[in-house]
Amino acid sequence: MSTDPSSPGAALLSVRNLTVVAQSEGVRRTILDDISFDLKPRQILSVIGESGSGKTVLARALVGWMAPQLKITGGEILFKGRDLIRDRAYASRLAGREIAYIGGNPAGALDPTMTVGAQLVEKLRAVRPDISAKDAQDKAIRLLEAVKIPSAASRFHEYPFQYSGGMMQRAMIVDALISDPALLIADNITQPLDVTVAAQILKLMRELNEKFSTAILFICSSLPVACDAGDEVMVLHAGEVVERQTSADLVSQPQHGYTRALIAELPTLWANGKDGRDERQDRNRQALMSVRGVAKFYETRGKAGKAVVQAVRNVEFDVFPGDNFGIVGESGCGKSSLMRLLTGLERPDAGSIIFEGEDVGTASPARLRQLRRRFQLVLQDPFGSLPPQSSIGDIVEEPLKIHGIGTKKERHDRARAALNEVGLGDRLYDQLPTGLSAGQRQRLQVARAMVLEPRLLIMDETLSALDQTEQGKLLDLFGRLQAQHGFTYIFISHDLTMVRQVCSRIAVMYLGETVEVAPNERMFFDPGHPYTRALLSAAPTLEERRYRPEDCLLEGEPPSPIDLPPGCAFAGRCPHAFDRCQRENPALVSRADQALAACFLVNAASTAKAPADA
Amino acid sequence: MSIQEMTSDLPAPRKDRKIAARIWSQAYAATEFKIGLAVFSALVVAAIFYPMFSGIDPTKMAISSKLLPPVFMGEGWSWARPLGTDQLGRDMLSRSLVGLRYSLLIGVSTTVLMVAVGAMMGLFSGYFGGKVDTVLMRLTDAQLAIPMIILAITILGVSRPTIPAIILVLGLSGWPIYARVMRSSVMSERKKEFVRGAMVLGATDWRIMFTLILPLVLPPIAFVAVLDIARMMIFESVLGFLGLGVQPPTPTFGNIIADGRKYLLNAWWIATMPGVFLVLTLTSINLMGSSLERARNSIYAGA
Repeated sequence: MSTDPSSPGAALLSVRNLTVVAQSEGVRRTILDDISFDLKPRQILSVIGESGSGKTVLARALVGWMAPQLKITGGEILFKGRDLIRDRAYASRLAGREIAYIGGNPAGALDPTMTVGAQLVEKLRAVRPDISAKDAQDKAIRLLEAVKIPSAASRFHEYPFQYSGGMMQRAMIVDALISDPALLIADNITQPLDVTVAAQILKLMRELNEKFSTAILFICSSLPVACDAGDEVMVLHAGEVVERQTSADLVSQPQHGYTRALIAELPTLWANGKDGRDERQDRNRQALMSVRGVAKFYETRGKAGKAVVQAVRNVEFDVFPGDNFGIVGESGCGKSSLMRLLTGLERPDAGSIIFEGEDVGTASPARLRQLRRRFQLVLQDPFGSLPPQSSIGDIVEEPLKIHGIGTKKERHDRARAALNEVGLGDRLYDQLPTGLSAGQRQRLQVARAMVLEPRLLIMDETLSALDQTEQGKLLDLFGRLQAQHGFTYIFISHDLTMVRQVCSRIAVMYLGETVEVAPNERMFFDPGHPYTRALLSAAPTLEERRYRPEDCLLEGEPPSPIDLPPGCAFAGRCPHAFDRCQRENPALVSRADQALAACFLVNAASTAKAPADA
Repeated sequence: MSIQEMTSDLPAPRKDRKIAARIWSQAYAATEFKIGLAVFSALVVAAIFYPMFSGIDPTKMAISSKLLPPVFMGEGWSWARPLGTDQLGRDMLSRSLVGLRYSLLIGVSTTVLMVAVGAMMGLFSGYFGGKVDTVLMRLTDAQLAIPMIILAITILGVSRPTIPAIILVLGLSGWPIYARVMRSSVMSERKKEFVRGAMVLGATDWRIMFTLILPLVLPPIAFVAVLDIARMMIFESVLGFLGLGVQPPTPTFGNIIADGRKYLLNAWWIATMPGVFLVLTLTSINLMGSSLERARNSIYAGA
């Protein structure tokens, strides 16, 4: 053994000159080039890089989980001084015991047919056969409590589908920690989560790191998250380590050009000042889409019989021609339900959605089909939302065929023109979308939506699957298309920095309601609702925060949409709540200059207007 | 950023041809596809033309030359009767090829009917759900509860067992399994994002069902259906065995096997020949089917 693992300061994990190449069809590509780093016990090291930088390959190389076309061609991975590459038996003995791995897809990692508890116990007893079933269960419940799963003892017996995304990710953390590993490799675990949930998971990782003295390798693609999570940050670019520094130093004095570019490119919330983005709109015109008092209920059957989920309620906003309207909120806030209502996929139970003077919610199916030519949707999932067996050209021509527009030749020409406009060459016309990247697929979706020449494009988390660079390119494209065709956009998103960059007006949703509707700079610099402040305080950013999480959000889970409190839904987590908030639900009231918020404090502070009916 | 720059990282297009054409050409490149195609076409051509051009009537009896063995297979064989003769001196090659005609006709049309009815039931049931689903699935259950063979015996016993009647009876009793399988795959496809995408584009239910979902769920079913062609041929022979199949003297695999059963010990070839032709036919269809399936998968997977 080269190093003594027991000596203080010795590395727990020590990677030396690791090189991995991909070999396919005779082409050799270096994925990781001569990587070396040390990880000490109890240390948290963040690894950051854009997609394609090799960070996931690195994570999987450490746990010996490599795709067949990948080969380790050189270097060593020393864990407590022993090389995992040469000593395969030792490596496989460590996996799941000493070295734990968590991936970014918790829903895929949990077995849907077993209760979460049973899976945890099974894992623990597989690793430590000597432990009794009872002890294993106790330990699992204790850990579920440690990761703040509410009422862990009863949740222990629930199935994964009964867990939310954030809870599943916590269950995966328990699954990894239950064998008391010395090293935890967390690969992109916060990416699919909401900002406030991600912030909680990060906080939790820090606590666990202190409590269980586990060293953590935290891999992610967002610089603010990486800096928040790790003691030190290692920057990976094109398979090479370009820099490693403590989080604070990395931000204040980046050494490498790539890191500097990364920091410079990072979209900011506040740093560029109150640069307003709504000057070009003319609010005297009639609204393009006008939403009033929209509500949608779903019936579910649970243990306690039938229950009504109030997915959307009291939603109100106007979208003006040429607007970039943003709808933000965390998962479960009703964004997706609202999207289905706005696009006519479902009918609202109350209220109206007036688009160009017609109510989408009550239009006849035939009329709705005609209306669809003028509003289109671009979906979130770049892989699932394209028909898998149609060629790219057919996908773009399909809307024209559906609406019986043009001759065969005209359809072909329009589809080619749309493909060229979104930056996909028409050489791809007869190809399947199989070989396209996520960004290219989203371009294809945009081409399909715009070939009908709609007036309104609804973007449902369209950019959330893309990395920062690709997002920037698509936002440029959206801007160009808007200038050329006069599109109006609705961006439904959970990403505040993206919304800050592109939206002129923003609606904030909480538990199915619009709690605030305000112009961009007003929402970020002078939010009218306490929830907006809480959301801003949790946003991952390297900037100095205008709002501190501890001032904005009380501990606790949001109430269930099945069992809503009579008053304001946010009252339970709001530091400013007073007794009226528990009794009455505030409606949206004007704060002047096109800004509205649903909070009693707004009334008290800015206007003497009588409160609207609750 | 210019368009050129953005497209430069795209995979280079292979050949600008329609996807269906690419699947065909890739399947055709496989040796087993060519073998399957050659055997299958030879069988079809022979079944159509041999009885006509050889001048040998498959129903013509010649007691003097009864139970002759196939060539090289024993005493008294001759090139004039390459596969031997049966107990009534009828030419086995000619009988087998004409039998193949009828059996293939019955097997294929029954299966097509069965798959068509089942697929439609499953497609509507899985796509619309709710009441449509309940009604169609209870209908399916009711049909499943009646044993196919008893239904066939009842109906064919009452009416005359003509070929169209046999096809109708077998086809209309075999569909429930297809309806079930179809329904569950349609239900899972229906939930996918691209279906929602098509709805927002304004596509009608009809269009989504037939142009988007059907092409996705049909291929695996078609694969099973090929095997069912054989099962239906055997079913016809079971009916023939009960005297409810195609009536003699028209030869089908069913009644040839039923005839040959009595002579299994001293004239094995009578019962064996239809089996050999059955195996050849199905193997050749399967060879083509599996190469097509493989080509299809590899093209849709982007290989």
